[in-house]
Amino acid sequence: MTGAANLRIEMPWLLRNNAGLAGVLVLIALVCLVGAAASDRFLSFNNFLNVFEQTTDLALVSIGQTLTILAGGIDLSVGSLISLTSCLTSGLINNNPDRVVVVVIAVLVLGTAVGCVNASLVVALRVHPLIVTLGMGAVLQGVTLLYALGPVGRVPRGFNFLAYGRVYGLPLGATLAVLLCILIALLLRYLPLGRQVYALGDDANSARLVGLRRTRILMLVYGTSGFCCAATGLYLAARFGVGQPYTGVNYTLASITPVVLGGTLLSGGKGGVVGTLFGAFLIALLNNLLNFMDVSKHYQLVAQAVIIILAVSVYVERRRTM
Amino acid sequence: MLKLAGISKSFPGVRALNGVHLHVQPGEIHGLLGENGAGKSTLIKIIAGADAPDEGEMDFADAPVQWSSPREAKQHGIHVVYQEFALFPQRSVAENIFIGHERRNRFGLLDHARTRREATQLLQRLGVSLNVNAAVSSLSVADQQMVEIARAMVHNVKLLVLDEPTAVIAGREVAVLFELLRRLRETGVSVLFISHRLDEVFAICDRVTVLKDGRLVGTHDIRDVTRQRLISMMVGRDLGDLFPPRTMTARSSETILRTEGVTVGERVRDVSIELRRGEIAALAGMVGAGRSELALGLFGAMPLRSGVIHLAGQRITSMTPARAIGLGMGLVTEDRKSQGLAMLLDIAANISGPALSEVAKHGLIDRRLESEVAAREIERYRIACRGPGTKVATMSGGNQQKVIVARWARICRSVLILDEPTRGIDVGAKAEIYRIMRELARSGVAILMISSELTEVIGMADRIIVMREGRVTGELPGGAATEEDIMHLATSENAA
Repeated sequence: MTGAANLRIEMPWLLRNNAGLAGVLVLIALVCLVGAAASDRFLSFNNFLNVFEQTTDLALVSIGQTLTILAGGIDLSVGSLISLTSCLTSGLINNNPDRVVVVVIAVLVLGTAVGCVNASLVVALRVHPLIVTLGMGAVLQGVTLLYALGPVGRVPRGFNFLAYGRVYGLPLGATLAVLLCILIALLLRYLPLGRQVYALGDDANSARLVGLRRTRILMLVYGTSGFCCAATGLYLAARFGVGQPYTGVNYTLASITPVVLGGTLLSGGKGGVVGTLFGAFLIALLNNLLNFMDVSKHYQLVAQAVIIILAVSVYVERRRTM
Repeated sequence: MLKLAGISKSFPGVRALNGVHLHVQPGEIHGLLGENGAGKSTLIKIIAGADAPDEGEMDFADAPVQWSSPREAKQHGIHVVYQEFALFPQRSVAENIFIGHERRNRFGLLDHARTRREATQLLQRLGVSLNVNAAVSSLSVADQQMVEIARAMVHNVKLLVLDEPTAVIAGREVAVLFELLRRLRETGVSVLFISHRLDEVFAICDRVTVLKDGRLVGTHDIRDVTRQRLISMMVGRDLGDLFPPRTMTARSSETILRTEGVTVGERVRDVSIELRRGEIAALAGMVGAGRSELALGLFGAMPLRSGVIHLAGQRITSMTPARAIGLGMGLVTEDRKSQGLAMLLDIAANISGPALSEVAKHGLIDRRLESEVAAREIERYRIACRGPGTKVATMSGGNQQKVIVARWARICRSVLILDEPTRGIDVGAKAEIYRIMRELARSGVAILMISSELTEVIGMADRIIVMREGRVTGELPGGAATEEDIMHLATSENAA
């Protein structure tokens, strides 16, 4: 797990600002303990690399979601945007290697633009982001189905590298997700606008009274969320070799879980993306453990849900006694 | 500095301001007085750019202005410290001070060290020592107020508007604030000081403007008016004595509540007090002394960490609000909006709230019965409204407070605790609340009133219990005690 070792340099201030991060690390340690008891292969380097790789898609989308939640909002259009971008990726590239660069850029721009439209609608219509992004999600799902009713296009073999490639032995997609996470963590900490994301989520009315520019802050967080969705869409297209119109459906709600597990308050104003990254890793690790224990996919969903609710209840308990 | 001419503002159904003139000169402390509902809050919002007037003109620093947002007003040098503050509780002191004007390094990125350093310097200049890394939520209310004022300094403030700044602080903290305001005045800053406390207006203001029912009553030099004159300007009539006469006769009446070594939360330690039927006891002390926590603990809204409560003949070690209500106890909380009222419901629903079974038939709420009950209470407590169906959110602070008191008075048989019952309400409503408290006490209820207003404590209480840093430091008889006696117990020198 060299990726996590890199992050440890950031920990002192991250831990200080984010008590929830300690919680998710404890949970990861717990899962590791159980895993070690269940199978001697669980704690192997190769298995961890494998889990790291499986974290990619959830990590990408949840990192963006973290920002909208930190700012006191939420983005429920992520699932549809992932579906749309993955279909566009494979449909537009259509097995033509010359188009890869253009399409990748176009898709990332489109995702960011959709996020900015979300932000504009929240500001202009004064409607809660829950409703705006829910509506946007429906629109995008419709557009996706207009474009393709089933698997569409193909990506060239080389494009698969994004999902299956290894660089210095590390899975490429997951490593990019970690780099993106660190970049965003630094921006949140060192950009004035990043500071204001926390302020807006902490108290929206105070933010208005002290004259913070809400539009800019929302553009940043929803734009980033859209960008992250597009990145997820690209990754999924690479992994499956083809875009599918429903490929993103489950990510909308799933993207919230790592955020909460990582210690970000659902009400906003406190938390961070590094916690989310570990939250996503925890979920992948948990699924991996259940696979080792031969638990069926259906029970995995139940087990996940139980653990999440318990974990969050522990966070709440601690906050009350603090 | 600031000149308002003919400002009018209407909201659906109300004319909040009607042709108001206000003239604040450079380097003066200008008092703005008026009962609740007089239009003070609306006027502040217009000055701050949080609301736009329907009519009228505004000049600031000798130029006509028209704010499109609070941001614009701030840029011109107007800073408003709202009663409920505009702080970010989870962020640090330093971050709060510079929010929106973040300190950057030469790459345009946040400079955390510089932020902390300059915040410390700024607070030092104000004569306050605070840990700039502490989260604002961990500060006392008085310190939070200092953070707000420090923030104003960042923007080169020309007009500082303080909305009821002393409603949340007491004693020494008020003195510190006033000293600070005087220093600001010397540097040419104008202060618009909104308050209900006439003593303070006389202590600090150069001139006063009085509003009533959205109209200007007048602006006077403070040396030209008397206390009585100001009161009559505010209420439009002369109030007799604000406090009703004491009627407590049975000094030796039955003890209804007794605590032994009660410890609540982080603040309240080992408190043993007694309350007797028919008395009004005041709980005095500084903000942060643990008075509200004690009240919440007695009512069961915060768990008792140790100690015993004897209430109405029962020995209780773990109290819950349901049990407290069952034993005839009531609590009027400090913050009526978030902890007292269902703002979006009507008066009737708010009054029947904790005792729904009384207005229910066959397990269903009988709206007509509920409405009749409410109508009786409205008349009894002279609540100004259109009827039992009036939404609480549309009422003035004083009338909202009467609704809460009416609710508890109906079902309270043993002890009623009122936490800052007259905070932010006008003189007329105050007198009403005092009368209701006295009436309840006469009917045999023991009343425990938490108050930071010493005149109120001395005027109302039969007995004064003083707390400091979570402990009871002494008891004084009501009536005979002086402000100095209370402050001595509340702030004893050997305190840490």
